[in-house]
Amino acid sequence: MSLAYDVIPVTIVTGFLGSGKSTLLADVLKGDAARDTAVLVNEFGEVGLDHLLIGELDAQTVLLDNGCVCCAIRGELKDALATLFSRRARGEVPAFSRVVLETTGLATPAPIVATLLGDSVVSSHYSVGAIVTVVDAVNAGQQRARHAQWLAQVTAADRIVVSKVDLVSQAALAGLERSLAELNPAASIARRTCTDDAALVLDSASNLHDFAEFVRRTGSARTDATHAANPLARLNATPAHRDELAALKAFCIEFDEPLDWPVFTLWLTMLLNRHGDNILRVKGILALAGATQPVVIHAVHHLVYPILHLDAWPGDGKHEAHRSRLVFIAQGFEGDALADSYRRLCRHLQTAEAIA
Amino acid sequence: MCGMCGLLGGGRHWSNSVAPGETAGARRQRYVQVAHANRVLAAFRLKLADFHGQSFVLSSPTGAQIIVEDFMQIWKAAETMLGRPLDPLTLFADEEEHI
Repeated sequence: MSLAYDVIPVTIVTGFLGSGKSTLLADVLKGDAARDTAVLVNEFGEVGLDHLLIGELDAQTVLLDNGCVCCAIRGELKDALATLFSRRARGEVPAFSRVVLETTGLATPAPIVATLLGDSVVSSHYSVGAIVTVVDAVNAGQQRARHAQWLAQVTAADRIVVSKVDLVSQAALAGLERSLAELNPAASIARRTCTDDAALVLDSASNLHDFAEFVRRTGSARTDATHAANPLARLNATPAHRDELAALKAFCIEFDEPLDWPVFTLWLTMLLNRHGDNILRVKGILALAGATQPVVIHAVHHLVYPILHLDAWPGDGKHEAHRSRLVFIAQGFEGDALADSYRRLCRHLQTAEAIA
Repeated sequence: MCGMCGLLGGGRHWSNSVAPGETAGARRQRYVQVAHANRVLAAFRLKLADFHGQSFVLSSPTGAQIIVEDFMQIWKAAETMLGRPLDPLTLFADEEEHI
């Protein structure tokens, strides 16, 4: 079934105050690449993006009835996106084919994702393209120690762009990139250079190339993790905040057996319903029983993006067995306990089915 | 949406997705999910039924019923009915210890 209207991908550009989000957009969104891009800025924006559309958003938040802060629908964002779409449909603005949303430095991405996925008007017309987080190489340590938003922004990212790389030493930069990779193994990390092009911002997070990278990263992360001591211990965080950071863990669980999709949906909805507050991010590629195409899954807290099917397995031709991989960034979990709970549910359902 | 009653459901929820080209399987998958969910909920004497392929009806042994849109809300509603959490990390763990 084809839709009579377009579904427009939204790239969310986030990053702490002063990390260089606007600079990134001003540098990268130029010329042809930016021609059919609409930019929404979640604060007063005066960057020279004259040829683009800049909407200004005022803060106004509507809570969903489940009352969870991370699932709050942001009313102003909803209105802005809906208005933008109607103006496009009426021909009042050029027919843009994607939207870039620049958040304020203090915003956590979850409510924005919630707005895009949870509101029925917005979710019919827009999809989440990617979350790009700009990390300030100079101030990262301090921001991580003092501001919880920094962590939320980094863990939600599909792509992390490290800015101000010329202002810090190579060793510090390598250290920062290592700790970013440990915090969020699901994201690819790039350094800002003057030759960056629009693909850095606009590429979708769920293409085959990204997932080939993802599989490679998570494959190697598993071997690294065994001999790395707690990577978060070396952060110079304040004591209270350090406890929180130490409990935060990124891990990858793997399933050799193909997953049963109906069982998996039950398990994941149950898990996110109970523990969504502590699960900052889930990203994975799944091999399903009875399907040849891999399934891509993304979640931020309780919110799961619409499921995507890739055309082929990343790195196909190497004749490896297809295994499901799920990266979790969560507080207070053990990877084994999660995998066990899924298998236990499978066994319970099989026994119950046999008895019935 | 059902045109007669204007019933809105969680049709677009991610747990309803099926593989591309398998549109006929959506309803079937829904019934499989409901059957599985009932195997979980039976231990708590709750029952789940599909409602017009759009929503679900969760009912308790005391006759309480609630219409829920998608699986995330089913577990939430079940927890409210039971007055205790349904945690997949501990669910059925004791059952396997006895074996």
